[in-house]
Amino acid sequence: MNTKKLKKIKTFDVVNALVMIVICFCMVYPVWYVIVNSLSEGTEVLKGGIYWWPRKFCIKNYTAVFESSEIFTAFGITILKTVIGTVTSVFFTAMVAYGLSKTYLVGRKIFMMLGVITMFFSGGLIPYFLVIKSLGMLDSFWVYIIPSLFSFYNAIIFMTFFRNIPAELEESAKIDGTNDFVIFLRIILPVSTPVIATIALFNGVGQWNDYFTGVIYITNKQYLVPIQTFLYKVISESSSTRITANMPASVRSSMVTSTTVKYATMVVTTFPIVCVYPFLQKYFVQGIMVGSVKG
Amino acid sequence: MKGKKSDLWARIKKQKFLLMMVIPGIIWLLVFCYFPMYGCQIAFQNYRITDALGTSEWVGLKWFTKLFNDRSFSEIMKNTLGISLLKLVFGFTAPIIFALFLNEIKNIRFKRVVQTLSYLPHFLSWVVLGGIMITWLSDTGVIVKILNAVGLLDEGVNLLASPQYFWGIAVISDIWKELGWGAIIYLAAISGIDPTLYEAAEIDGAKRMQRLWYITLPEITSTIAILFILQVGGIMGSNFDQIFVLHNSLNDSASNVIDMFVYKIGIGNGSYSYATAIGLFRSVISLVLLVVANKVTEKLEGSSLF
Amino acid sequence: MKKAVAFMMCLALSASMLTGCGGDSKTSASDLPAAKTEAKEGEPAWKDDTDPITLDWYVNYSWYGSWWDEGEFSQYMESKTGVKINFIVPSGSESEKMNTMIAGNTLPDVITLEAADPLVKQMVDAGLLYPLNDLADKYDPYFYEVTSEQTMSWFAQADGKTYGYPNASISPEQYDELTKINIYQTFNVKNDYYEALGCPDMSTPENFLNALQAAEDMYGDQIEGFIPIALHDFSDTGNYSLDRYLMDYLGIPKTIDGKLYDRREDENYQTWLKTFRKANEMGLIASNVFTDSRQQVEEEIAQGRVFSLLYQNCDFTAEQQMLYDEDPNSAYIAIQGPNSGNDPALEGSGIGGWTVTCITKNCKDPERAIEFMTYWISKEGTQDAMYGEEGKSCVVDEDGTPHYTEEYQELYDSDYDAFNRLTGMDPLWMLGDPVSANNWAPDPQPFLEQMYKWGVDYVVSGSQYSNLDPDSGTEESEIKQDIDLLWGSTLPKLITAASDEEFDAILSDFFEQRDSLGWEKLLSYQQTKYEENLKKLGIEE
Repeated sequence: MNTKKLKKIKTFDVVNALVMIVICFCMVYPVWYVIVNSLSEGTEVLKGGIYWWPRKFCIKNYTAVFESSEIFTAFGITILKTVIGTVTSVFFTAMVAYGLSKTYLVGRKIFMMLGVITMFFSGGLIPYFLVIKSLGMLDSFWVYIIPSLFSFYNAIIFMTFFRNIPAELEESAKIDGTNDFVIFLRIILPVSTPVIATIALFNGVGQWNDYFTGVIYITNKQYLVPIQTFLYKVISESSSTRITANMPASVRSSMVTSTTVKYATMVVTTFPIVCVYPFLQKYFVQGIMVGSVKG
Repeated sequence: MKGKKSDLWARIKKQKFLLMMVIPGIIWLLVFCYFPMYGCQIAFQNYRITDALGTSEWVGLKWFTKLFNDRSFSEIMKNTLGISLLKLVFGFTAPIIFALFLNEIKNIRFKRVVQTLSYLPHFLSWVVLGGIMITWLSDTGVIVKILNAVGLLDEGVNLLASPQYFWGIAVISDIWKELGWGAIIYLAAISGIDPTLYEAAEIDGAKRMQRLWYITLPEITSTIAILFILQVGGIMGSNFDQIFVLHNSLNDSASNVIDMFVYKIGIGNGSYSYATAIGLFRSVISLVLLVVANKVTEKLEGSSLF
Repeated sequence: MKKAVAFMMCLALSASMLTGCGGDSKTSASDLPAAKTEAKEGEPAWKDDTDPITLDWYVNYSWYGSWWDEGEFSQYMESKTGVKINFIVPSGSESEKMNTMIAGNTLPDVITLEAADPLVKQMVDAGLLYPLNDLADKYDPYFYEVTSEQTMSWFAQADGKTYGYPNASISPEQYDELTKINIYQTFNVKNDYYEALGCPDMSTPENFLNALQAAEDMYGDQIEGFIPIALHDFSDTGNYSLDRYLMDYLGIPKTIDGKLYDRREDENYQTWLKTFRKANEMGLIASNVFTDSRQQVEEEIAQGRVFSLLYQNCDFTAEQQMLYDEDPNSAYIAIQGPNSGNDPALEGSGIGGWTVTCITKNCKDPERAIEFMTYWISKEGTQDAMYGEEGKSCVVDEDGTPHYTEEYQELYDSDYDAFNRLTGMDPLWMLGDPVSANNWAPDPQPFLEQMYKWGVDYVVSGSQYSNLDPDSGTEESEIKQDIDLLWGSTLPKLITAASDEEFDAILSDFFEQRDSLGWEKLLSYQQTKYEENLKKLGIEE
């Protein structure tokens, strides 16, 4: 009887693991495809059929991407805006969400309605542009930070988590006369690491990938353009020829094509942000919150 | 009357710290979301880009009538709702199932590796991915070759050139791209579950599937419910980047969604007014759907947005 | 209470914004700032003031890139005039960038955009641009010496003033001065395949289908994914290859007895569309043709999968060069394609031009801007931009034609890109004397020459047919858009129809819907416009 049960569990585990491996393969393979193609000579890629290993290995596609020195400034701006934007937005959104998660809050219904409407209605690009302009944020670094300070969608996710926090946790502090803001800082934030990590990830990736802000709101101060805007042209449609045009004809004709440069650009721009995840991952693993309740 | 007023005042005073935390968010909403909404007026005007907002000629409901009378209106509604509903049924549940089963993996290192790898496709942009998909799904592409070999598909079929496959392709490729990414939030929710619940269940002799069904799933329902409500609200939208790269003249009858339609109008004429009117129409429907979904889940689950 | 504060803040914001973006009123020449230097009769004014100044110059193409600060030629222009150009390029979406700049009143000093862009007229109406006439009258009358009167009046707006000067615009009176003409829309076949088939005739529907079938029979099994005929990508509004190119190839007239009409009604055209339908029924049009974007089409060319294509040859030069370098015989050549007995009537350079360059009301120094424009449009400026400094990179013939020095010519031939990075020449196309620019242009490289020159005898000037599109925001422009989109969805149905009967049904359905969308109204608008064009150009027909 006992051994039978053990065996049953094992089958489940084995099948589950196998399914996961198959899923992983499906997920990784296209990424691998992009990488090996970006490491092959352009004309070979044009001929097609590169599936597992680079054919006529060459890193010219990557040197083409790094050709222009401005790309390093752009990388710097992207890192800066991702870090600052994520920290400020997560904190601000969490703070507002904590207030809104209290059902007894005065005017909560109105605030919620106000928020929900913004998820669906927008005035469009032109009036928004005018707002940004009148706030003096054109050609300014702040255009990356302040307009993305708050997200009602993320606030809702925060709220669902905050509501699951056992009330006893706050009550003892309240009795001591601690104010809500301090409770939020000292008690709520430390036990909410999984959701903070989640939202930080969403936010950070959003910041990292955002090219549009740089396109529209940065005109004269080109050094403020982030990497995604800088390389957007390369990724979108065939205008990668601009980068390939910078190369000597001898190299261009055989080793680099717009497709391969596009792949290389893709790898260059996503690699750094993909690397962030394993570091955040430990915050997802277990219920830190519960431990502290008990403690 | 006076008593009530002072009562409210007292409550405000008591909650002043909470309110001080919420109000900046509301101000932000007013400045960056509500204030630009005066631009919605152009849906009822004949706006040209050089007009100062508010000075354009009023045309009433002209653009809305034009939309409803358009010969492709029923087609775009059918496609938009069809793709979105399929994404709601399959695309919404897949990450939940994935997260639940991933959570059952015991080897922590393996679990982490799977999780990291599964979210990689999220980072491939649709432009690049679309290029690869067009190649792979053409009659000489890998995927078609594999399907031919297994006998699921006749030879020489170009999957993207046939309208009947389009919805399926859109839904499957979307699931594939967002599966791991979408699971993150559920994994975070699962990690918040009190371990003592599992300990108690183990003592009671609950089996693997039972624990999954009776503990894990109910513990994350509130998260599921909220995300479900939000997704229902998004039914009128579609992933434009995705549809745009996969769309072509032969599958147009299945891929012409609202976003595509707006795009076509935009490039032709810069019809800001028409595009805004369509956007407004969509927003109203979405909001109604969201409120309905919220009511329904509130009844069924007790979870609600507001 | 706090809410009230926030609300007040918003109101204050709105007040400041509404005043911020009110439309400018039109200025007349007398409102312009006084001239800093007096213009001398018959002398270009740019010579009087060569103090350093930077002009912010927006080019409405995301693919545009320049080497102004490094290029020898551009630096030479800068040292001569004192004008440094800071080119601004939209990253990504051009129209959104342009629209936000207009709405936010943040346009830079000078802008270059598509000549036919409806935004030009809208900016003029909103008073965002300086009339070039006023600037020229006030600061630099020499402007009129270097520009063509016909061109100026062609681009004049309703008030009789011209707000932007074009490039690549050849007016009918300049047309005969052209000595070099290239033609870009050709019917091309891959030479080695074509020869292997015995160079069959492809000009009648029957021979066309036979040749494609023969190609398919010979290569279909041999080459994976073989494409007997490739076309332009199918867009929302149709397909260049099957619309304009095919019509021009068949020499379908644009007017009958001086009246515009729908060229789709032409019988020869319909016969050929049916031929393409038949080709599709016979399996000679691969499904890729309907799904590929331009990039994929060009990749297929490089892979040697495409036998023939009706396509603009200047868009696959890189692929052509690749094939040519491997084996000159494997490259494409232009041949006589679909024909209806008439000579092809291929569109040559017209007065419509490509882009216009405008000086905005935000310009910090309109005087210097117009002077610089005069300089660049003059032969001197054109030569400087194309050939650089005389004695260094340029030698001038006795008849005044500039050439590169041997050293530069060698670099030009062997490594065009290195040449460009050294000189910064290639991106300097937004202004210049169009006739000189055309006639001075170096010869095409050997692998392009046959295609570029094939159709030269069939070129016709089509100035009177340009500029027929209604202004945006009008009822006619809506009608045009609706009909264009209708055609965009009809065309693939026509080609994929199962039989000629089905084809006819779809087509007559199209004409019916076209009429109900308001075709007559659009046509009569275009007819009026066309007659105005004739009058403007002084053409009798």
